[in-house]
Amino acid sequence: MERREFIKGLVIGSVAIGFSPSLFSQSGYPDLVVVTGESPEKITREAVELLGGIRRFISRGDKVIIKPNIGWDRTPDMAACTNPEIVKTVVSMALEAGAKEVIVMDHTINQAKRCYIRSGIQAAAQSAGAKVLLTEDQRLRKVNLKGEWLKEWEVFVDFLEADKIINMPATKVHSLSKVTLGMKNWLGAIGGSRNQLHQKIDQAIVDLSAFFKPTLTILDSYRILWRNGPQGGRISDTKLMKTVVAGTDPVATDAYGATFFDFKPQELLFLQLASARGLGKLELEKVRIEKKTV
Amino acid sequence: MKRKQSKKYLALQKLRIISQLAFFVLFFILFMKTHYGGADYLTITVERYFHFDPLLALTTTIGARLFFAAFWLSLITLTFTLIFGRAVCGWICPFGAIHQFFSFIFKKTRWLKPKRDDRLSLAPKYIILIIILVASIFAVNLAGYLDPLSFLYRSFAVYITPLLNMAFSQSASLAYGLGLESFGQTLGQTLGNLALNSFFQNALVIGLLFFAVIALNAWKERFWCRYLCPAGALLGLFSRFNLFKLSIDPEKCTNCHLCSIQCQTNARPYPADEWRSSECIYCETCAAICPTAAITFPLRWKPEKIQGVNLSRRKILLTSLTTLLVAPIFKITPHRQRAYPALIRPPGAQPEEKFLNKCIKCGECLKVCPTNGLQPALTEAGPEGIWTPVLVPRIGYCEYYCSLCSQVCPTGAIRELTIEEKTTVKIGTAFVDKNRCLPYAQGRQCLVCEEHCPVSPKAIQTITVETLTPGGQVTTNLAPFVNANDCIGCGICENKCVVADKPAIRVSSIGEQRTKKTGFIL
Repeated sequence: MERREFIKGLVIGSVAIGFSPSLFSQSGYPDLVVVTGESPEKITREAVELLGGIRRFISRGDKVIIKPNIGWDRTPDMAACTNPEIVKTVVSMALEAGAKEVIVMDHTINQAKRCYIRSGIQAAAQSAGAKVLLTEDQRLRKVNLKGEWLKEWEVFVDFLEADKIINMPATKVHSLSKVTLGMKNWLGAIGGSRNQLHQKIDQAIVDLSAFFKPTLTILDSYRILWRNGPQGGRISDTKLMKTVVAGTDPVATDAYGATFFDFKPQELLFLQLASARGLGKLELEKVRIEKKTV
Repeated sequence: MKRKQSKKYLALQKLRIISQLAFFVLFFILFMKTHYGGADYLTITVERYFHFDPLLALTTTIGARLFFAAFWLSLITLTFTLIFGRAVCGWICPFGAIHQFFSFIFKKTRWLKPKRDDRLSLAPKYIILIIILVASIFAVNLAGYLDPLSFLYRSFAVYITPLLNMAFSQSASLAYGLGLESFGQTLGQTLGNLALNSFFQNALVIGLLFFAVIALNAWKERFWCRYLCPAGALLGLFSRFNLFKLSIDPEKCTNCHLCSIQCQTNARPYPADEWRSSECIYCETCAAICPTAAITFPLRWKPEKIQGVNLSRRKILLTSLTTLLVAPIFKITPHRQRAYPALIRPPGAQPEEKFLNKCIKCGECLKVCPTNGLQPALTEAGPEGIWTPVLVPRIGYCEYYCSLCSQVCPTGAIRELTIEEKTTVKIGTAFVDKNRCLPYAQGRQCLVCEEHCPVSPKAIQTITVETLTPGGQVTTNLAPFVNANDCIGCGICENKCVVADKPAIRVSSIGEQRTKKTGFIL
């Protein structure tokens, strides 16, 4: 290599680094956006726009996997699963950004097909052009999670093969982890005896969050489940918040989500553990939040 | 003598094979449609063919002392048989088609070739029919064990479905292993959509019996239809007129006996006056195979007598009397007297006595259950209840928004429920086993059961328990507490409990709402 070429490369390289998204965000974009409004679609689009637009996260030709919460056989008004319209909007946006393929998938608790249909997510995501797939046991791979508690565990290979992961949790209470938001949503990306994870649920949540690295977390708080979680059952168990919380810091997103239920982020063990592990910021005062109503 | 087979009857024989194939395919399509296809209510009556079965209609009506409206369709079958004979057996019955198919295959082989002698008595199926009918007078419901449709459907539900499941999942694994990603995915997704149940208790007996009656075709052609089928026997009794009567043209007949040798049901076409019209299923084999086209079935109006069946009045009387003495033994069981813990019936099940009188053990509910939780009983329901459906929560729980089993039950043993009704039906009650439950016995947190409880407010509430651990430390955890009045007994708690072998929370039938007998909280 000639000297001139080397210098040229160096210059181009440093310019590229200078404009790379991670550095860019520190300068320009908020860490967390909270958008409220009537239309689920509009608030979702606005939230992503405030974060720098979908093209900041999805590149042309990307294979994208979206992980909503489709865990329960419940209709959207029960707020047990992610809002289908919000999922649909994100699918559309990813495809608009040039994604090669958008997969929507969750490892459900009730019969999978039932959950996919009653939640409305299958129909909504498909109408926007996503490939909605049921999890397949044949596609489980043993993976070293390198967690503090969880070492080897079975993960659906679909999540490993994707270029970008978008986490789209629902906002719910939970009797053990107190809330179930984005970080707990990863329990739906794995197989194995998930019921054993309850024994150290907070540690499990953190170990999984350290493994799955979403490009973006979009927390659906359009209707939240404040009682009888995590599956509710009555409309009176839910509250309309008409809000979407989105961000690149999974800990901060969950910390904000906890405030819907009047929890201080510091009260939640999994947030403390996650923050100590360096997965993100737990103190909302230290997070750049942008709020907007549309 | 001109040697030429009848073109007309060769064509009719082909038509009959097409008809059998078509009805078998129909049966199989309806079988595969008996699952959650994406809508809460099935759009087609997948269990319809049971209603055309006069044996089930008769025994259920006698046994339950009640006529289930849909069974009026069996009158069509009866009227048809009254006029045309047992053509239903030869042209329509899907089980008959299976036997015919295997007889045909076995005949082509050297080792499995069925024997030709016709010394074996054709009477057993009539004896079986008498036993079933007399027992039903005592409200002992035996029809389902040997009714051809019940037998076939149950075997398919318990034996063939798991086989299909294995085939699909193995193929999917193989495809993925070979790097055929998209093919593997197609198979895998299909498998997920079909939700084929793969585990059944008593599958060994039900599967082997199915295998055995197929294997019997190597002994005698269409063995089941000739000697065992009680529905065929009933149709035989009703085949009075047989408008199309066998006739042999003596001018053409060369007395070659080929017709009698090849007759599928041993109806002995030759000589014509010994023709057993009640055994003839109008398969047209004799007329088609006759080398000189001597056999025809012209229209003739003259009632027929049952002949050639060695069934004396004495035998009938003896069988009836024996059944009269034996049938009540089924009733001598404490199951009728008090509640049994494992006897968790599907939601909508009639009170036990009525349920037993109506259930034909067909397996429709076992097939449609989305979680595989409905299982054929062995001892859970007493001697009358063998192979009736019970929920075994350890295998599968009762899905909250599902009433499919109640929709497919052909006899109303499980009353049809709307989803709204279903969510309120209590089929049992869960109890925590504190000696095994992690917060109580191990001082660890868990609460998996509480998370899964589908009713709102949850029937599983939490209490704080303190557990003394060996180091002298006290651990404090939330632990499950069942509110018996809110619990519907769906069993998802038992199903998801980490203590998998003998779960730390278990459902038993106590408190089920279909009967007062199992009430326990005043």
